[in-house]
Amino acid sequence: MSQPFIPARRRILSAAAGSAVLGVGLPTFAQAKEFKVGFFIALSGPAALFGPTQRACADLAAEKINKAGGITGRQVKLLFTDAGGPPAETAKSAVRLMLEDKVDLLIGSHDSATREANIATIKSKVPYIYSPVYEGGECSANVYCLGETPPQQAQPAIEFFAKEKKAKTFYLIGDDYVWPRKSNEQVKKYVAQYGGKVIGEEYVPFGAPNKFEEAVTRVKAAKPDAVVSTLVGADNVNFNRTFAGFGLDKSIARMALLLEENTLMGIGPENSGNLYSCMGYFANNTADAPKKFKAEYMARYGDKAPQLSTIGADCYAALNLAKALFEKAGAASSAKLMAASEGLAFDAPSGRVTMRGRQVDKDMYLATCNGTNFEVIKTIKGVHSGTACKA
Amino acid sequence: MESVLVAQALNALFAVAVLALVALGLAVVFGLLGVLNLAHGEVVMIGAYCAYVAQTNGWPFITALPLAIAVCGVLGFVVERWLVSPLYNRPFDTLVLTWGLSLLIRKCAETMFGLGYKNITEPVSGTLDVLGATYPRYRLLLIAVSVGVLVVLVLWYARSRTGTRIKAMVDNPELARALGIRVSRFASATFVAGTCLAGLAGVLIAPLVPVQPFMGLDHILMSFFVLVVGGLGSVAGLLTGAAVIGGTNSVVSAISDSTGGYFCVLVLAILFLWQRPSGIHARR
Repeated sequence: MSQPFIPARRRILSAAAGSAVLGVGLPTFAQAKEFKVGFFIALSGPAALFGPTQRACADLAAEKINKAGGITGRQVKLLFTDAGGPPAETAKSAVRLMLEDKVDLLIGSHDSATREANIATIKSKVPYIYSPVYEGGECSANVYCLGETPPQQAQPAIEFFAKEKKAKTFYLIGDDYVWPRKSNEQVKKYVAQYGGKVIGEEYVPFGAPNKFEEAVTRVKAAKPDAVVSTLVGADNVNFNRTFAGFGLDKSIARMALLLEENTLMGIGPENSGNLYSCMGYFANNTADAPKKFKAEYMARYGDKAPQLSTIGADCYAALNLAKALFEKAGAASSAKLMAASEGLAFDAPSGRVTMRGRQVDKDMYLATCNGTNFEVIKTIKGVHSGTACKA
Repeated sequence: MESVLVAQALNALFAVAVLALVALGLAVVFGLLGVLNLAHGEVVMIGAYCAYVAQTNGWPFITALPLAIAVCGVLGFVVERWLVSPLYNRPFDTLVLTWGLSLLIRKCAETMFGLGYKNITEPVSGTLDVLGATYPRYRLLLIAVSVGVLVVLVLWYARSRTGTRIKAMVDNPELARALGIRVSRFASATFVAGTCLAGLAGVLIAPLVPVQPFMGLDHILMSFFVLVVGGLGSVAGLLTGAAVIGGTNSVVSAISDSTGGYFCVLVLAILFLWQRPSGIHARR
């Protein structure tokens, strides 16, 4: 690196000569070269709340993989990179990770706007695993998605609202960017499918200092049977607190597409009545696999462990997918990896899952909020992601 | 239909009242001392965490108020004495200083409490019927408290000797000093009053918003817009600014949606900065 003007051939020669002179017993090539993973998590900005759990879960997975010999015999090294700023900034970091750090793989746990910017930048040169909840339909080459999609979350929830809660009218509210808008297109489809009607739909600016008194007053006047929220983070907390503050929690059922442990903690026990979430993972799930995962996580991090949620769980799953994918493909070419991904089984915190169409089919849990805890009321086995990309 | 109109009118009133309350501390410090305290939002955040500390210790909500006054008062005193006072009349330097301070306070809060959202239970729950509209009791209480605080402050500032001395200090510090007014002490007291008011506002809004280390950012921006529109150095300016910014945001949000409301606020702020940078109630 310090002699950039010496032609590559001579550099290799001198390096070889150097090691020969020194007579150092170099480790084998495969062990010497680390498997570098550029890992996008939120270290700043409004999603920074998820940063500690994203990092803790990813580290836990990497440690386990390394103990078991790494990925294709190479030790995994995670390069955590901030994705909490504007999408264009994150895309610039992707360029740096590819050109300077020469990463073997990129993993992203961030919003959809950033994913789109990243994909346009990476241009399928490096495999890219996108881990969190998203709107579905991502089929760019060499991209693999893990998160819950609307057919997995909204379909079961709307069915439950329509059939068991007898909800006929729905009001949709979300942040104004790609995930809420695209998810709501599908929500509207399910509402129509179960004979309901969407009587209101509104969006608030993403990242602005939003307040929700006016929107809640509007919802109240519209008198829906149910509200579907695609707000994220602080906006979701704020809306639900205001909603219950105005006393609407008793008469109107709510579901949110990104409602996990941290958000529910912010909403608080007084404001979480009649509120539902449908996710592929809840931290207090008592089934064998999630229980075992939680025990490992708590043993590793102790009392100071960041709150577990589906966001972190998917970061853990992403590295397991990477190991399975590279070892089955045998080569890092885009075509081989994509072919290997079809029908690939790997371990996620919720249990063994299978990749189909470069998305994940998974068991979904419909939960009601009891104070600041989720109580699973319904388990739906092996729900298809609704997206089938070509291998 | 009438009940919706009443509710939206109350929403507008609530928006203006809360904005005036939150911007008050910034207005005092910026208007009287010429220091744009970019850490104002973080002091509001400290106030909100005082409410959280009171709640986790099982103390009644009201005890968070003296706690916030103590914590924010000491913080204000220390910051003014050792950091801000050497930099009076150097507006850009104080801007950088308080910005750095805001980062530091945010990181301290993160270290002490973590990044997770805290929920503060409303001390007064339930709703009340107001002219046919059901409105949350705590929000009604907050409107009353905000009006009360402003009225007391206006009367005190207009009638008390201290108020007169502060006015003298603001108008002409040299002359005030020559008259035997201890300007540095008044400046310190004014700064401390500003941080205490910010802390109080933080306690009062804590039950309504997600409490987290980044929450201050939301409040500094809107508070700054209030001062841009209203103008510095008078309660009339603060109220006008809060009414224009908070009112516009609320009314437009009620008629169209939040995007429209926020858009209008930004347009107003830009128009004022461009055409009338000293605001509606310019001091000079």
